[in-house]
Amino acid sequence: MEKKRNRNVAIVGIGETKYSSHREDVNQPEMVHEAVQDALKDAGLSINDIDCTVHGNMELFEMIHQPDLWHTLGTGTYGKSAYRLTTGGTTGSTVVCAADNLVASGMYDIVMCIGFEKLQEGHTTGGITNMADPLWFRKLQTGALTGSAGYMMMEEFGEERAKRAAMTYRIIMDKHACLNPNSHRAFGLEWDQLEDLMENSPRLVGELRLIHMCSQSDGACVMILASEERAREITDKPVWIRDHITVHREESLNVFGNDEKHPVKMTHRFAAEQLFERNGITDPVEYFDVFEMYDPSAWWGLDWMREFLLLEGDEHLKLVENKEIMIGGKLPINPSGGVIAANPIGATASVRVAEAAKQIRGNAGPHQIPTPVNHALASGFGGTFWTVLFMLEKELSW
Amino acid sequence: MSEEFGIKVEEIFDTMEERFRPEGAEGVDASFGYDITGRGKWKLTVKDGKMKIEKTDDLSDCRAISISDPDTFVGINIGKVDGMQAFNSGKFKVDGDLGALGQTAKMFKRFQPPKKEMTTKEIIQDMFGTLLSRFQPKNAEGLDVTIGYDISGEDGGQWMATIKDGTCTLKESIDGTPTVTLEVQADDWVELMLGRVEAMTLLSAGKAAIVGDTQLALKLTEIFGKYQLPGEKAEPEQELIALKKTISVGQHFATGPVMGKFLKGLKDKKILANICPKCGRKQVPPREICAPCRVRCEEWVEVGPKGEIRLLDTVYYASPDPLTGETRETPYGTAWILLDGCEGNDVFSHFIRPDQIDRIVIGRNDRKGSRLRPVWAEKRTGGVFDIKYFEIDE
Amino acid sequence: MGRRVAICAVSQIKNEPDIWHQRFQGMLLDCFEPIIEQTGVTFDMEKGIRDVLTCSDDVFDARTISDNGMQDVVGAHYRGEEKMAQDAINGLGYAMACILSGHDDVVLYLAHCKESQTESRRMNTNLGYDPFYCRPVGLDFINACAFQAREYMEKSGITEEHLAEIVVRSRKNAAKNPYARENGKVSKKDVMKSPMLCDPIRELHHYPVTDWAAGMLLCSEERAHEFTDNPVWITGFGNCMDSYFLGDRDLTSNFALKKAAEQAYAMAGIKDPRKEIDLFELNDASAYQLPMWAEGVGLVDEGQGGAWIDAGGMDASNVNLSGGMLNGNPVMLGGLARAVEAVIQLRGEAGKRQAKGVKRALAHGTTGGAGQHHAVVILEKGVQ
Repeated sequence: MEKKRNRNVAIVGIGETKYSSHREDVNQPEMVHEAVQDALKDAGLSINDIDCTVHGNMELFEMIHQPDLWHTLGTGTYGKSAYRLTTGGTTGSTVVCAADNLVASGMYDIVMCIGFEKLQEGHTTGGITNMADPLWFRKLQTGALTGSAGYMMMEEFGEERAKRAAMTYRIIMDKHACLNPNSHRAFGLEWDQLEDLMENSPRLVGELRLIHMCSQSDGACVMILASEERAREITDKPVWIRDHITVHREESLNVFGNDEKHPVKMTHRFAAEQLFERNGITDPVEYFDVFEMYDPSAWWGLDWMREFLLLEGDEHLKLVENKEIMIGGKLPINPSGGVIAANPIGATASVRVAEAAKQIRGNAGPHQIPTPVNHALASGFGGTFWTVLFMLEKELSW
Repeated sequence: MSEEFGIKVEEIFDTMEERFRPEGAEGVDASFGYDITGRGKWKLTVKDGKMKIEKTDDLSDCRAISISDPDTFVGINIGKVDGMQAFNSGKFKVDGDLGALGQTAKMFKRFQPPKKEMTTKEIIQDMFGTLLSRFQPKNAEGLDVTIGYDISGEDGGQWMATIKDGTCTLKESIDGTPTVTLEVQADDWVELMLGRVEAMTLLSAGKAAIVGDTQLALKLTEIFGKYQLPGEKAEPEQELIALKKTISVGQHFATGPVMGKFLKGLKDKKILANICPKCGRKQVPPREICAPCRVRCEEWVEVGPKGEIRLLDTVYYASPDPLTGETRETPYGTAWILLDGCEGNDVFSHFIRPDQIDRIVIGRNDRKGSRLRPVWAEKRTGGVFDIKYFEIDE
Repeated sequence: MGRRVAICAVSQIKNEPDIWHQRFQGMLLDCFEPIIEQTGVTFDMEKGIRDVLTCSDDVFDARTISDNGMQDVVGAHYRGEEKMAQDAINGLGYAMACILSGHDDVVLYLAHCKESQTESRRMNTNLGYDPFYCRPVGLDFINACAFQAREYMEKSGITEEHLAEIVVRSRKNAAKNPYARENGKVSKKDVMKSPMLCDPIRELHHYPVTDWAAGMLLCSEERAHEFTDNPVWITGFGNCMDSYFLGDRDLTSNFALKKAAEQAYAMAGIKDPRKEIDLFELNDASAYQLPMWAEGVGLVDEGQGGAWIDAGGMDASNVNLSGGMLNGNPVMLGGLARAVEAVIQLRGEAGKRQAKGVKRALAHGTTGGAGQHHAVVILEKGVQ
């Protein structure tokens, strides 16, 4: 069923801090302020033009109750409408979804969405451990690490092929990260390191190794969304938000579908099916020019390609093995380097949208895809396999 | 020879004695190896607050050996390469006790590359080499001028900067008559640039001359940022203050009747599940509702206690407890077990007996997984560890 | 604007000092089921609920991603869910945006909070301040209110007697509300003698520790009739943020509240709130806030709070017939409680406390110390 939007909304400004492991030179409001200033500059607006802000992060990481109150020192929210939404790891996407809904509704014309995290100020693992049920799983869990994706893929495709594909994905992400001046971690991995890393990178859980895992970063990402009328006044390169979908699931972790007689559809596939069907897209690999995917680990990035792009069998492995997901390939994935390159959790999902938007604008920087980018896809991940999926367009052509 | 940072690997080792900090080596009695690819092996022996470093191929008794290429090794030692980054990307490897190797960091003062004195000629070359990067366009708005630098002496030279439309270009000769020309001896020019002498002093003493637009000459310190010798910082670094605090607020969590009944069952060595009236799904631990069916689940059944393992996560890295910093012993195994009476994905998660991890066979549809039974704690309080772990049922 | 969104159903459990016998999941399920039953709404991806809104606080729940454990009981399995992380009343504004944007037709909203779970709710609110200055100085939401109370009482001629009257009235009204926290009646003397919490706020002047959960079903104007015969319309919403640092604020100016109210009135087409609004639910965490917020929404002239109370203004304008937050609602849900009461009154279902001729109501919520953030909702009766 096609959904009718009340009015069109575009991203007109993007601002980011440099993502790094320790932003010790700024406190939280100062850090957010950097990104806010950056976004306003990018849009050519002043804070007076903003009607409303949407703020989000995972507050138990920094142990601040209602951080948006303190952050008014840096967000410029004084005297403005202000919302705060938080949904764990997907927060960064949720604040963009919310900004889109708020502008599309007609209630506000220009909304600024802010995602941030200062992981170094808290205890990240402690924060993640506290996500689990205090009476049961908190004592059992491993801080969001699991080797199950690796195990399942090795069972399906064979140990050697699966491990190699995951490491290929990883090295591709690093090569992209090396082109992205704003990445937190870019190691400069070489292809000839592949076997060595496969065998020798320290193991975390099962086949999930240190090299596969995302970073923990400090940083903020701010975007300014405007109604169509205002957007056209503000910029000649508006990035249109076509649609978005959020799909959550219960907290129990029997997500791995180990019983083939009782397959479990992942939220990623469900979201993709719903979103693409209602937008008339039958072949996502053909349709999209770029996909900024929230990939917390190389194994998950590889696995979820199949779900998001509605592929079957080993089609996703082939895309990786043939390097089609590299910049210049058939469907570049994470030209920014993805979550493995930078992960300021409350902002990470926003960064995916921001990077996809930059690609559409054509000014992403050294990691810009050389061919025109008209249709972009961005995803967010969090909680127990929660998914947010975004579609961005260069033209209002749908 | 490793020249990437202009420093040889051997320099790091040769200076270890003078950089040694005995207080960082207190209580350490061990050898540590350094395997620098293509360059050789060194052994550091620490005992009774004293150290010895020798180049040797025999690292057999080392508690830990670090393996890296020369560039990475030097880079880490002088702070130009991030150690964690190198470790994560496989450029810096450790064979043996990683924690022990970490101790060596406290034993040495950081390696400082020797400062090289620059000659007058080198400073002047560097000064003009960095002129364009020190140009401040904001302070040159509306200017359309040329500035001549006539530095006399064999270390000097002639340069001309052209400022127009907010940009600046530089050439190594003076054409025509610039808007203003500075004439000064090379040694004096260096003293002036480094802030060791005032411009007025030189002018009054006739050691420097300004030819042309004097006003423009006075603006030069705004138009170009201050020159610094390479390796020097302009201002002392701002002191950053960090407050460290562990925040802990006590909570009392309710179990509610559903979780409560389940936990009570554990006390009696029973594993209870509840059943969805619509789809028949069994949840263990039980939940108030069946998520896909969205109906309350009120029927209960005892399941297990034995079952088949369907997935195993072998954990090598244990996250520390946020409040106590304790970690579980690794490797340990977290299992998803299909208890007797349950079907499909209605698995139960708990730990595996650590010494049995290697013997576990994970069940798939085409093969049977290891059959497990719970090992109950002696004293049970109605909590997750009333079951110590699951072990193979043999 | 003229566009509006319908509230088709509300549900709630009783406000209690300590719901030790239920987890959040049980509390929310008790709110979820009645809404489904009352409205017959489904979770069909075409015609039913595609997105759920929740509200809870990670610090108060002591759980990172406090909505994570609630997904099943709010029906969000394979549906969207977004958590409001500020006073729950803001969820009404956001739900309105979701529906008016065209993204959703129907939105389910469920909120929960247990103030009793923590050993100290004051320590929790102390965490609402920056770690460098305000926190070590010991600021929390109660003493921030105390600063404001002292200034406001002076400005608007509020005396200890007035505060006592407000508390006594709150208890009397709450006694008629079957979902209100059962606090028992108090006399003016009891109030004026109750121990000082933080000068000038006495124990009985401030809302007691409370646990609660509630829910609503909201939907587009076109589809309201599918779910209810007695819709309540949200016709206006506004919210606004004030400065963070107490020293930067003019604590009695009602700066943020006035702006929030302005936005809500503009959207609802209200020119004179005193004439056009029949019932007010103001979020009074502390007794002094009732007259103060009344000034902020334009019900009372600035500086005239004391005189207004003396003239019987609270009863005359149907203010806080529920007992207000003062009787007891948890910190994150105060504004939602105000909205729930307004809805019940507009539907004519308020029983012993039903006001007559209520066609339009105002509900108000606050977030942060001394009301740093305010939200105002205008609600209108559906069936005339």
